[in-house]
Amino acid sequence: MSDKDIIICRCEDVTQAEVEAAIDGGITDPEELKRFLNVGLGPCQGRTCGRLVLQILARKTGKPVSEIRATKTRPPLVSVPIKEFIGSDDD
Amino acid sequence: MTKSYDAIIIGGGIIGTATGYYLSKQGLTVLLLEKDYLTAGSTGRCITGIRQQFSTPATIKTAMRSVALFSRMEEELGRDVEWTNSGYIFLAHDEQKVETFKKTVALQKQFGLDVDYLSAEECKKIVPMLNIDGLLGGTWCPSDGQASPFFVVQAYAENMVKNGCEIIRGDEVTGITVKSGRVESVTTASGAVYGAPMIVNAAGPWAREVGRMAGVELEVEPERHEALITEGVAYMNIPMLVDYRKEGGYFVQRTTGQFIGCYTPEHQVKGRDTGSTLEFIAEMARRMCRLIPALEDVAILRQWSGSYSMTPDGSPIVDETSVAGFFCSVGMSGHGFMLGPALGESLAGYMVNKTWPFDMSEFAFGRSFGAKEDLA
Ligand SMILES: Cc1cc2nc3c(=O)[nH]c(=O)nc-3n(C[C@H](O)[C@H](O)[C@H](O)COP(=O)(O)OP(=O)(O)OC[C@H]3O[C@@H](n4cnc5c(N)ncnc54)[C@H](O)[C@@H]3O)c2cc1C
Ligand code: FES
Repeated sequence: MSDKDIIICRCEDVTQAEVEAAIDGGITDPEELKRFLNVGLGPCQGRTCGRLVLQILARKTGKPVSEIRATKTRPPLVSVPIKEFIGSDDD
Repeated sequence: MTKSYDAIIIGGGIIGTATGYYLSKQGLTVLLLEKDYLTAGSTGRCITGIRQQFSTPATIKTAMRSVALFSRMEEELGRDVEWTNSGYIFLAHDEQKVETFKKTVALQKQFGLDVDYLSAEECKKIVPMLNIDGLLGGTWCPSDGQASPFFVVQAYAENMVKNGCEIIRGDEVTGITVKSGRVESVTTASGAVYGAPMIVNAAGPWAREVGRMAGVELEVEPERHEALITEGVAYMNIPMLVDYRKEGGYFVQRTTGQFIGCYTPEHQVKGRDTGSTLEFIAEMARRMCRLIPALEDVAILRQWSGSYSMTPDGSPIVDETSVAGFFCSVGMSGHGFMLGPALGESLAGYMVNKTWPFDMSEFAFGRSFGAKEDLA
């Protein structure tokens, strides 16, 4: 199986080869990777792929995972239907 | 020895990368310094909207030029930037807005923009899902659109590097050396010194601090704006809707099927805070459903916030400053992404040839700040 076939982010369909190519292109910050590849921006909010990306970064840059800053988690922690926000109000 | 370039750009958002690319296209050697990562500032927080409906000549012309550049970006830069002509509708819910819109449409048409004032029913024809309760009319420009700020910045950055320029991430400019009224070099947090006869301040919400490094005072004040994005759903053909009511907002359906939007807070939150509030997510949800009731089942994925960099009149400052060789392209308000390509191209042209493509004195450094743009 080649790196092209290994899916790192299932939600956004990003492969290991794409992550590695971006890192080779100079993008070594997980925040920047997230934005340029959409990796971690799917419905699971990176729960599945976040760790995998950090591991690839660690391997490619030689930095331990603990030294790479993890991406910021944005609320809401689980996606919420719009009507949940509007139902309760009394206007 | 100090490494030298033809030009140094401070800031890796849309403004810095676009200006850098157009300078590199003219054969200059450019160094772009970004303290964090590309799109770390406002650019990575914008809601992707690109419109040409403005109320002053230089802004309309700049935005129209940007749309021309966005439309052929994939061809020129070799990357799909998700550019789409999905259009913009500005909604008028009171007579005063109707007046303003009719006036601005007349002005925009003078520049050849494909814009029209429509009745509420005509708006409904374009957006069948729109709730037109209380709607008097709206302005529709089908050639307005949207693109991905991440891919646009990436495309400019890649091509700058391809043209022989350099980008350094993670190193902050901490000082600018000026000798006899002319810029000479920058110093960075890592202790490096880089020389150039031209330096561009493209520092977005940090523009004021960067200006002060060269002794130049720029009237730019950051202000927090919140935003959110939903999950992707089936395409509903919703262009950017601009609702100017007190409880209004703006949102669009992305090419990914997601809805992205924000509103201007009633009370300004000054500063560069990027926290988010529960109040915003609840309000925005309500405001989106008020216009498109079908959105109530769509799930919100994420919320965040970023800065608008405001000047007193709401227009940017794009010019050489009082220090020779020190340029600024700052104060982008809520329009830096859409204006970025054309402003980058014009400023690069000015830096090389000392001419602007058209009268850009509206954006001059040192102008006296008059009234605010009507379609701010
Ligand atoms: C919620 C929201 C929605 C928006 N929606 C839209 C929209 O739909 N359409 C639109 O056109 N605009 C929109 N905007 C506005 C747009 O995002 C900004 O106008 C634009 O991104 C400004 O780009 P910039 O390059 O000037 O600044 P930035 O993107 O902030 O770039 C400045 C960069 O400079 C770096 N920097 C700062 N100081 C230094 C230093 N000393 N040394 C090195 N680097 C430094 C920063 O890290 C930053 O990356 C929106 C903004 C927000 C907040
Ligand atoms: S697997 Fe990457 S966001 Fe869900």
